[in-house]
Amino acid sequence: MDIFWNTIADYNAATWPYQIGLMAVAAILTVILWLRPCTWAKVAMKIYMVAVSLWIAFVYYGQFASGRDYSSVMTIFWCMMAAAWIYDLVTHFSSFQKSGRYRPWGVIMLLLPLVYPLISVLRGMEFPMIATPMLPSAVALYMLGMLMAFNNRINFFAFIFIVHWSIIAISKIVLFDIPEDILLAAACLPSMFIFFKEAVDADKTEHKPSVKAVSALILLVAVLIGACMVIEYV
Amino acid sequence: MTQEYVTEIADFIARYLSYMLGAGVHTSRVVRNSKRLGTALGVDVSIHTSQKTATLTVCGKDDTSVMNTRVLDIPAFPISFEWNADLSALSWAAYDKKMTLDEIRMKFDALVSKPKMNPVFVLFMASLANASFCRLFGGDIWAMLVTFTATLIGFFTRQHLTRRHVNHYIVFIVSAFVASLCASTALTLGIDTAEIALATSVLYLVPGVPLINGVIDITDGHIQIGISRLVNALMLIVCIAIGMSGTLMLVKDSLL
Repeated sequence: MDIFWNTIADYNAATWPYQIGLMAVAAILTVILWLRPCTWAKVAMKIYMVAVSLWIAFVYYGQFASGRDYSSVMTIFWCMMAAAWIYDLVTHFSSFQKSGRYRPWGVIMLLLPLVYPLISVLRGMEFPMIATPMLPSAVALYMLGMLMAFNNRINFFAFIFIVHWSIIAISKIVLFDIPEDILLAAACLPSMFIFFKEAVDADKTEHKPSVKAVSALILLVAVLIGACMVIEYV
Repeated sequence: MTQEYVTEIADFIARYLSYMLGAGVHTSRVVRNSKRLGTALGVDVSIHTSQKTATLTVCGKDDTSVMNTRVLDIPAFPISFEWNADLSALSWAAYDKKMTLDEIRMKFDALVSKPKMNPVFVLFMASLANASFCRLFGGDIWAMLVTFTATLIGFFTRQHLTRRHVNHYIVFIVSAFVASLCASTALTLGIDTAEIALATSVLYLVPGVPLINGVIDITDGHIQIGISRLVNALMLIVCIAIGMSGTLMLVKDSLL
């Protein structure tokens, strides 16, 4: 556990100006997409998603967390996340158009990464050994927020990678004592239900079992994962 | 019995045969059911099958001068136990209730046009099945959860590539690689059962039906198609091995 927090401290101490820069870019692009969504802003946001995934892959895991066991696995995983966004960039799959139904949820999720350092401070931790918005789970939460706020048509590959990351984060809450990741878990499980249910509802082809039964299964799985987290944590 | 009627029967049995073989029914059952349909309609049916095509001859029971022979392609449908059961039951119903060709055809059309399984439902059920396998092999709760989402990603990749008509060997390699790579993230958690998650994450790709059908076909004397099916299954297993080897070489620097 010590090496886990020490690597976070080293990362924060060495990269905090860059982290602020990346957060500023994210904020500007989000505001532009929110107020004046245009093609270049959508492309720029996808490029940002690729860049931030590669940042986590090579700067965080490749350099600062390289002392941890199997950190190269995480580098490869975040490269796959970047690949999912590059695929989206090439195929123009996700529209990044605002959807009215879940916008408030999206706004909350977009702001949640900023709560990470606050929780760390409330736990009595001090900079640089705190969770920041440019740690992998906070970045995943920001991506999830973007998908939720602009969910007219979403990048499902990126979404399921985020779901997988959330499962890793849920285990880290227990195994590495990082309760900040509860934010990601709490955001991801309802998102999992919403996005998959939307996908089922959007499919107009007649399938079996019924839409209600499939939605119930998705809800059951989300609840089961949440229950696993609560049981193990408590 | 007229030539026209025999041709109509041959048309129908050709469809019936191709749907059953395409849906992954083992050969002797397909042959038996087709012959039963023929008997119900008063004709003799002879069939030769191979992996991609089948040859069918239908001739009058008493008058062998009226006959129809054709070679048909076997379409690649998803494995369907439902079609297997329903179409077998149809052959019995035709035989027992002395149904006419029109009645059989109508019933057949109704059976094969039933709605298909929801892809999201299949995605979740396959992922749950793999997580259950992980548990059966001794995985703990975290390994199960990682296996669940790794399978979710791998299976989603498979569905996506299949929809885009990518070569199915490539689909198997990519899906196995992606699923096992995602499952390998369990190694970073330092849990004891991480390797079980890694090993069970690709089980959803194992071609169980072709393997079983291949063995049944060989034991029933359909050696050629049996060997074809086993070779096909073996190729898919090799593809899974290639995908998983990619992950192991990247993650553990060795295959063991």
